[in-house]
Amino acid sequence: MNRTVLVVGALIVAPLLIFLALSFGKDPRAIESPLLEAPAPGFALLDLDGQPVSLEELRGRPIMINFWATWCQPCIAEHPVLQATARRYEGRAHFIGIVYQDDAELIRGFLAQRGDWGRTLLDPDGETAIAYGVYGAPETFFIDTDGTVVRKVTGPMGADFLSGIIEELL
Amino acid sequence: MATIGQICVLAGLLACAIGTPVAFAAGASRSARGLVWSRRLALAFAGAMLAANLVMEYALITRDFSVSYVAQVGSRATPLHITIVSLWSSLEGSILLWGLVLGGFTAALVVLQRRGHEDYLAYTIGTLLATGLFFSFLIAGPANPFQTVSPVPLDGPGPNPLLQNHILMIIHPPMLYLGYVGMSVPFAMAVAALLRGQLGATWLKPLRNWLMVPTGFLTLGIMLGGWWSYEVLGWGGYWAWDPVENASFLPWLTGIAALHSAVVQQRRGTLKAWTVILIMVTFLLTILGTFLTRSGVVNSVHSFTQSPIGPLFLGFLGIALIAVVVLLAMRIDTLVSEPAEDAIVAREGAFLINNLLLVTLTFTVLIGTLFPIIAEAVRGVKVSVGEPYFNRMAVPVFFGLLLMMGIGPALPWGRASRAELRRALLRPLPAALIGAALTGLVFSFEWQILLTGGLGGYALWVTLDQGMRPARARVRGGEPVPRALGSSLTRSPRRTGAYLVHFGVIVTFIAVAASASFQTSNEATLAPGDQLVVGDYNLVFEGAVNDRQPHREVQKAVVRVERGGRRLAVLEPSLNQYDTQREPIMTPAVRSSLGHDLYLTLGSVGADGRVGLRAILTPAVIWIWIGVLVMVAGTALCLIEPRSERAQTASAAPEAAAT
Repeated sequence: MNRTVLVVGALIVAPLLIFLALSFGKDPRAIESPLLEAPAPGFALLDLDGQPVSLEELRGRPIMINFWATWCQPCIAEHPVLQATARRYEGRAHFIGIVYQDDAELIRGFLAQRGDWGRTLLDPDGETAIAYGVYGAPETFFIDTDGTVVRKVTGPMGADFLSGIIEELL
Repeated sequence: MATIGQICVLAGLLACAIGTPVAFAAGASRSARGLVWSRRLALAFAGAMLAANLVMEYALITRDFSVSYVAQVGSRATPLHITIVSLWSSLEGSILLWGLVLGGFTAALVVLQRRGHEDYLAYTIGTLLATGLFFSFLIAGPANPFQTVSPVPLDGPGPNPLLQNHILMIIHPPMLYLGYVGMSVPFAMAVAALLRGQLGATWLKPLRNWLMVPTGFLTLGIMLGGWWSYEVLGWGGYWAWDPVENASFLPWLTGIAALHSAVVQQRRGTLKAWTVILIMVTFLLTILGTFLTRSGVVNSVHSFTQSPIGPLFLGFLGIALIAVVVLLAMRIDTLVSEPAEDAIVAREGAFLINNLLLVTLTFTVLIGTLFPIIAEAVRGVKVSVGEPYFNRMAVPVFFGLLLMMGIGPALPWGRASRAELRRALLRPLPAALIGAALTGLVFSFEWQILLTGGLGGYALWVTLDQGMRPARARVRGGEPVPRALGSSLTRSPRRTGAYLVHFGVIVTFIAVAASASFQTSNEATLAPGDQLVVGDYNLVFEGAVNDRQPHREVQKAVVRVERGGRRLAVLEPSLNQYDTQREPIMTPAVRSSLGHDLYLTLGSVGADGRVGLRAILTPAVIWIWIGVLVMVAGTALCLIEPRSERAQTASAAPEAAAT
C-alpha cells in the first residue's frame, strides 16, 4: 500500500466529489440577486476617456447598468437594442455600460466601429462586477431614482422588454 | 416495440451483471475456461446493445409513438435521414448509443485480441463489463428510452432543431462518443496491468494502440464540434472555452500526454506508473465531462435540462475515482521501472517537459471549468470564468508545446555530448527565422505572431527532417523518390504517422493563432441594392427570399459577393424558423478559400424587406480543419503494423499460446 498515493488521491477526490454533490439542484442560470430591493453598491470608476464617474453623481434619474464584453456574443447581439433604447430615453435615464473581463483597447475599437450608447466604464480589477454579483455577461441591473436595485436581468434583452422596464421606472 | 427493446436492454444488463464477476474471478484464478466465458458474455453484451439500438431505430423510422423516446423526438414531418440520427438528439437516446459504442469497443477488443495476453484479458474484460453494467443499468432504469406511452400520441415535436440544421451535427456526437467511450478500453487495460502487477512491452503495445484509436476519434469529434459551431451558430468563432468544450478537451490532453509517456516507456522502460496514472485520469475525465454535460451543474450551451441521471453519474464517478485511488495506492509499487542504463537526458527530458506542459494545461482548464461550482459551494457566490482567463493561461502553454515539438524530436535519445546537442538544436534555426519573417510579412510584426511563426518554422523543419528520414535514407540507397516515399509508409508507418500528426498540429496551431488575431468585421441594415464593404470585398444585397419547407420556414438574404469589380459568388445566409420551436435559428453562409473565410450572418429580416447583415473576414480558418484531418490521418497511420513486426507477431503468437 503506497500511502502517498492514497493520501494525495483522497485529497483530490474528496473535495471534488463534495463540491460536485453540493452543486446539485441549483440552476446555474436562475440567480436571485440578494441586491434586489437593497441600495445599489456604490462605485467610482473611470470611463474610456479617463473621466471619473461615481454612482452618487448619477442619482436623480433611473439608471441601467449593463455588464458586457467584446468576447461575449450575446452582448454583441444586445448592442443595437441598447443603442436604440438609450437614444430613445436620452436625458431621462442613465445608460451605463461596465466592461466585464475585457481589454480597454478592444472595447474602444468595438465602440468606434459599432457606435456608442451611454457611458462605458472600466472595471479593471472586476471589483464592481463582484460587488454586483455578476455571474456572466451580459447582466443588467436597474436602479431607481432612490438608488435602490429594483430589477436584474440575466442574458440579452429585446427592445420592447427593455423599454418596458425603463417606462416603469420613469 | 417498447417491450422488445426492454428485453434487449435487460439482456445486456444481465450479461454485464454475470460477466463482471466471472471475468474478475477468471483473472484472479487465471482460469482458461473463465476467460472463454468472459469473452462470450462480453460478446453477448455487445449483441444486446446492438439489438436495442436497432429496435430503437426501427421504432424511430416507423414512427412508433408508443415508444417514449420516439414520442419525445420523433415527428411525422421530419425527413428520414434526420429521423435516423435523432437517436442521439436527446439524453435517453444518446445514452443508448453510448451503450452500443461501449459494446462495440468491448467486442472489438475480444475479437482483435484473440491470441496471447491471457494474463491481462480477463481483468480487462471484467473492467469493461463493469462499466457496461452502469450504462445498461442507466438505460434499463433512469434513462429508459423504451417506456410505453399511453395513449399513443399522433405526432411528436421532432428533434432539437440544431441537429436538423447541419450535417456536421449528425456526425459530431458519434465521433465524440467513439472518443469518450473508447477511453474505457485503455483504462480497462491499465486496470488489468495494475491488478497483474506488471506492464511489460508486450501489453504496452496493444495498450498504446487502443489508446490511440479513441484519441483519434476525440480529435475528430472536437474538431467537428468546432466546425459545426462555426458553420451553424453564426457567431464567427469555433471555440469559446465553454464547459462542455473543455470537458472534451481535458481527456484529449491527458490522452496525448499518456501516448507520449508510453513512447518513453517503450524506449527506456521508465515512466510506467506515470503512463498508467495518465490513462486512468483520462478515463475519469471522460466520465467527469459526461457528468458536467448531463447533470446541469454548469452553465453551458450544451447542457441538457436537469435530468435525473446527474446524481447517478456522480455516484459512478465517485465509485470510479475511489476505486482508481485505492487500486493505484495498492498496486502502483509493483510497476517498477526497468533500470535505465544511463541518466535521463536529451529527448527523454523533452518528453517529460511535454508531459508537464500538457498536465499543467489540463489542470488549468479543469480549475477554470470547475471554479464556478467551487466558488458557489465555498463562498455562496455565483461567478463565471470567461474566455480571457482560459486564453491567458493556455496561450503560453501552447507556445511551450510548439517549442517542445521543435526541440524534442531534434534531440537524440539517451546521453548526448554538448556538441551534439548544440548541433541538433542550432541546425533548424534558419527555419525559425524564415517562419517568423514570413508570418510577419503576411500578417503583422507583433511579437506573438513572430513567436508563433518562429516556433512553428522551427518545429516544421524538425518534423519534416525527422519524418522524411527513412525515405531519404532509401533515396540515398538508390531507390527512386516515389518508391522511397511509399516504402517508408509501409515499413515505418508509425514514425511517418507520428510526424504527420505533429505536422497537422503545427498547421492547426498557426491557423488558430492567425484566425484568432486578425478577424475583421462589418455590419449594417441593408435595403435591396445596398452594399456592405468588408476587407476588399463588396457585398451587394439583392433581396430576401422566403422558402417554405415541410418542417421549417427559411428566410434567405441573397448577397452578391464582388471583389475588385469582379463577381465571385452569391451567398445566402438564412434564418430558419422551425414549426415546433419559438426562436428562429440562423445559418451563416461561408465562402472558404485557402487564405481566408468570408462569413455572412443574417440578423433580422424586416417587414419592409430590409435585412440586418453581418460580415466577418477571418484568415486561415480552413487550415484548422485541414490540420486536424492531417492529425487524424497520421493517427490512423500509426496504427498500421509495420511489415517486419507483422511477421514477428505471427511467429510469436503460437509460442505465447503454448505457455
